[in-house]
Amino acid sequence: MEFSEHIKTANVEDVVLQQPLHPPSKGTLCITSHHLLFSDREERSGRQVLLLLRNIDAVEKSSVENLVNYFGLFPNAGRSDRATESSGTLVIKCKDLRVLQLEIPGMEQCLNIAQSIETLSCLDCVAEMYPFFYRPSNASLRDQWGLSTPERHYTEMEALHGRWRLSTVNQDYSVCPSYPPAVIVPKAIGDDALKKAAKFRQGGRFPVLCYYHRKNGTAAIEGSDKGYIIDTRSAQQAQQARMMGGGFESKSCYSGWKRLHRHMERGKTLQESLIKLVEACGDKSPNMDRWLSKLENSKWLSHVQTALSTAGLLAECVERDGRSVLVHGSEGTGSTLLISTLAQLIMDPSCRTLEGFLTLLEREFVQAGHPFQQRCSHSAFSHARLQQECPVFLLLLDCVWQLWYQFPLALGFSEALLLRLATEAYSSDYGTFLCNSDMERCALQVKGKTHCLFRVLLKPREREQYTNPLYEPNELAIWPSVHPQSLQLWRGFFLRWTQQTHHLELVQEDIRNMVIEWGKLALS
Amino acid sequence: MASPVSVYNSNVLDAHISSTSRESLKMELLADVTLLPGEERIIDKDIIYICPFSGAVKGKVLITNYRLYFKSCDADVAVTLDVPLGAISRVEKMGGVSSRGENSYGLDITCKDMRNLRFALKQEGHSRRDIFELLFKHAFPISHGLPLFAYVTQEKYEENGWSVYRPVEELRRQGLPNNKWRITFINKNYELCDTYPAVLAVPFKCKEEDLRRVSSFRSRGRIPVLSWIHRENRAAIARCSQPLVGMSGKRNKDDERYLDLIRDANDTAKLTIYDARPNVNAVANKATGGGYEGDEYHNAELVFLDIHNIHVMRESLKKLKDIVYPNVEESHWLSSLESTHWLEHIKLVLSGAIQVADKVSSGNSVVVHCSDGWDRTAQLTSLAMLMLDSHYRTLKGLQVLIEKEWISFGHKFTSRIGHGDKNHADQDRSPIFVQFMDCVWQMSKQFPTAFEFNERLLLTILEHLYSCRFGTFLYNCESAREQNALRQKTVSLWSLVNSKTELYLNPFYTPESGRVLYPVASMRHLELWVTYYIRWNPRIRQQSPVEQRYLELLALRDEYIKKLEELRLSDSSRLADDGPGGDTSSPSPASSPTRQQHYTHLQTPF
Repeated sequence: MEFSEHIKTANVEDVVLQQPLHPPSKGTLCITSHHLLFSDREERSGRQVLLLLRNIDAVEKSSVENLVNYFGLFPNAGRSDRATESSGTLVIKCKDLRVLQLEIPGMEQCLNIAQSIETLSCLDCVAEMYPFFYRPSNASLRDQWGLSTPERHYTEMEALHGRWRLSTVNQDYSVCPSYPPAVIVPKAIGDDALKKAAKFRQGGRFPVLCYYHRKNGTAAIEGSDKGYIIDTRSAQQAQQARMMGGGFESKSCYSGWKRLHRHMERGKTLQESLIKLVEACGDKSPNMDRWLSKLENSKWLSHVQTALSTAGLLAECVERDGRSVLVHGSEGTGSTLLISTLAQLIMDPSCRTLEGFLTLLEREFVQAGHPFQQRCSHSAFSHARLQQECPVFLLLLDCVWQLWYQFPLALGFSEALLLRLATEAYSSDYGTFLCNSDMERCALQVKGKTHCLFRVLLKPREREQYTNPLYEPNELAIWPSVHPQSLQLWRGFFLRWTQQTHHLELVQEDIRNMVIEWGKLALS
Repeated sequence: MASPVSVYNSNVLDAHISSTSRESLKMELLADVTLLPGEERIIDKDIIYICPFSGAVKGKVLITNYRLYFKSCDADVAVTLDVPLGAISRVEKMGGVSSRGENSYGLDITCKDMRNLRFALKQEGHSRRDIFELLFKHAFPISHGLPLFAYVTQEKYEENGWSVYRPVEELRRQGLPNNKWRITFINKNYELCDTYPAVLAVPFKCKEEDLRRVSSFRSRGRIPVLSWIHRENRAAIARCSQPLVGMSGKRNKDDERYLDLIRDANDTAKLTIYDARPNVNAVANKATGGGYEGDEYHNAELVFLDIHNIHVMRESLKKLKDIVYPNVEESHWLSSLESTHWLEHIKLVLSGAIQVADKVSSGNSVVVHCSDGWDRTAQLTSLAMLMLDSHYRTLKGLQVLIEKEWISFGHKFTSRIGHGDKNHADQDRSPIFVQFMDCVWQMSKQFPTAFEFNERLLLTILEHLYSCRFGTFLYNCESAREQNALRQKTVSLWSLVNSKTELYLNPFYTPESGRVLYPVASMRHLELWVTYYIRWNPRIRQQSPVEQRYLELLALRDEYIKKLEELRLSDSSRLADDGPGGDTSSPSPASSPTRQQHYTHLQTPF
């Protein structure tokens, strides 16, 4: 396919751009195969906006307006500017929640631009996405991709070698298409048994080890001793799943295991919650006295609460009770990963550094088969019919932010990192969040043809930006408070494009620089 | 130890209450209370504290002339309570000798600081009688002809907080007197206005007899006087009470001329009068002789700020208390919070102050009043001043602001708090000052580097707003304080604070003297001050020990500043050695520069 087929109008002059935190500006709009580029006409301002088309969630064409409005913005503009011709307005709503407005002279051009954006922003073909074309000058495709592998993870975790082994039963992805080629399983279980177990689990996702608690030798996921099974569905839902051929572990067959049901919303419900929340946040009406009710009605914070408390429960079972825990929902690629990731952050100090956290995300979300492509294809603004979209990863980042907010010293990374990840998951220059599983990434040679976000975030310059200056390593578990009065709206993300949030971002940066500088001079 | 499914499984709360060892129990239960100098034991007793978080707890209660102290003697739950008697609003008997049921006989204590306490006693032998009577007497000393504890304490501090605020000095800092404003001592005997301070600043052209005539037209003689003046554009904030217009629409030429003099002082076309009240309330006040400025005030515009009165605020905070104590209304937390309207009131107060500050910073003088000019007016002027003048954002500056706009200008602390008074249902009580502190907290959250003080200062101020341990918040006005020799006989809260400043400093403070801070007064950006209003709930206690880290950072910062200063000095001495034209104004290296000096150096001097 040629991208140019979709670009009828590549350049438009005299476009007026309005974007949050900036005054309106006039300049040239340019559509390329992957980007929307706006360059300010005033050369000295040198302002450019480069937006990945993939970042655009919705384009809204508002009614044709004549240029009165246009002159209202630029009272000094010459009358020669085709004053009689009509112009069209496009409202561009992005997945990072930014809302831009473009006033484009000439209806036809405006419609052409809208058409191009609509098509190019939702291309399905992964191999044509921007990460496959992104070639920064300071990086090579031969650079190392990824932070760790299941093999290396296993090698490093010496403590578990006694009872756990690395199995390559899935090396050609035939046993479980969404698992990585190597997984950690109990030593006592042979590959044949794993194959059988896989046939009995939805999507072939047989139980594998995700976390081994060094302090007391218990594991999240599987163990030979009796332990807990945390089912992220309600008992009723699990019962219903039985009718569909799925189900839950019955008491008689799994003796010694105690089943705990924690109902976590998924799929459409979660996506709709996000849509409601974003709608409330973007409400421009001056009378905001129903704000708290709207926030409550979106139920987003109650999803945050459920996720954190389920993760807390998991961590309690492992850390306090010393039991092994098996976690699953139905497919095990959404809420399961969410709570196992959070629980590790709560219990394991090594996950709380910048490097540790990114490695955790790589292992528990990317390698473990969270279907990013499906879940993040649209965000809160899209008018397209909902398919498999679900903001599980965003919910995870929000929960991590709550931890960060409650424990300002315990995490080695900053809010800025969480914001960056929230943006990159939906549209990115990098290949990290492409595809739905390791198998798909392997088929498309993502590791050979794109650059790795996690690697880039750890380069010295970026790293400095994303560290928490107040960080103090802390061996203890960090138990979050999950009471509604302790949970806050993540303003940094949901109200990101407001002046106040922008100001606080700058202040955070000032504080970081301040502390770094004190450290340097005081220790010199 | 907690079962694995406790905290995240149910509402049972046990993870946060630490258990004590048996050994500590052997010690005398009450031995660990350090009494203040002058504090004396009144009574102690075995008692059961009905803790809303961990159930009935056996222990011992000690009542002194300053506090109620409780310590559990149960090995599993270590509960201590340390409540200044000043924080008690109401003491009631619960149940009778014949009441049935466990723990049904005892005391119910309502506090002013967002909590209630309930104790149970043995039903035999009227065991409640003596403790009830003694507690009632000492919790409400004024109602029993006893002195407040501030008059009894023998505490000594290195610093004398009473010297923090000197009215003339503060006016001089603002650049007074000048050719438009003068300082007058007309009220030195509190004859012009008994609720105003002795030192006032008024328009230069206004004679003393004019002031007297104006005072007859303003409620309680509270004439418009200067609160703050902008150094550059000379725009002023003046405060007063409502004009006595009444139903008949009375006029007073002197008052009209006086307001025009305020406008004239910085030569702007229009004076803006901010009436803090909702329009309808201002109209209703005409019936009782008050009202607002009408068209007869030429060159003036009137703006209503829609802030509700003390009764509405009291009810709002009461509703808030209902949803946070003892148990937080968790199932519909946000909509319950919304229904208290507390944050909405905060929003209105803040946005009123923003309008005042904005007007002044754009060069227009303003007059602010409500009905009497001691509640909403104090909130608006002090918050606007905090936005406009970075001096008030320092540790000492906030003290000055409170001393000036609240204490000296007659915010009726005694009536609003009800110090030592048993009349808990008094309609004069209202959390106006708490609301102001909340607004300061909201601002400090929105501008984390703009305030020299930290949250702990705000919490400490609010603790002692009620405690009656310091003289700072006693009495309704300056004249009453003088009559009762407050400064001679009591200790100032600022003595405590300024003797240990490092506890109250924000390590990230970055002075920016010229900057006007406009907080965002939108519901989206306001938060409930959980660490104040829900601080008694063990579930929301500080998750990690941030304070220690902040103290370390403060030390690191001081070290940094010291090194920086050394570098600067060695640079300038090198320059001086190099020849004339070197910087000779820098302090001599012999005097080691302290942090304070450094910062006064950084700030544009007023």
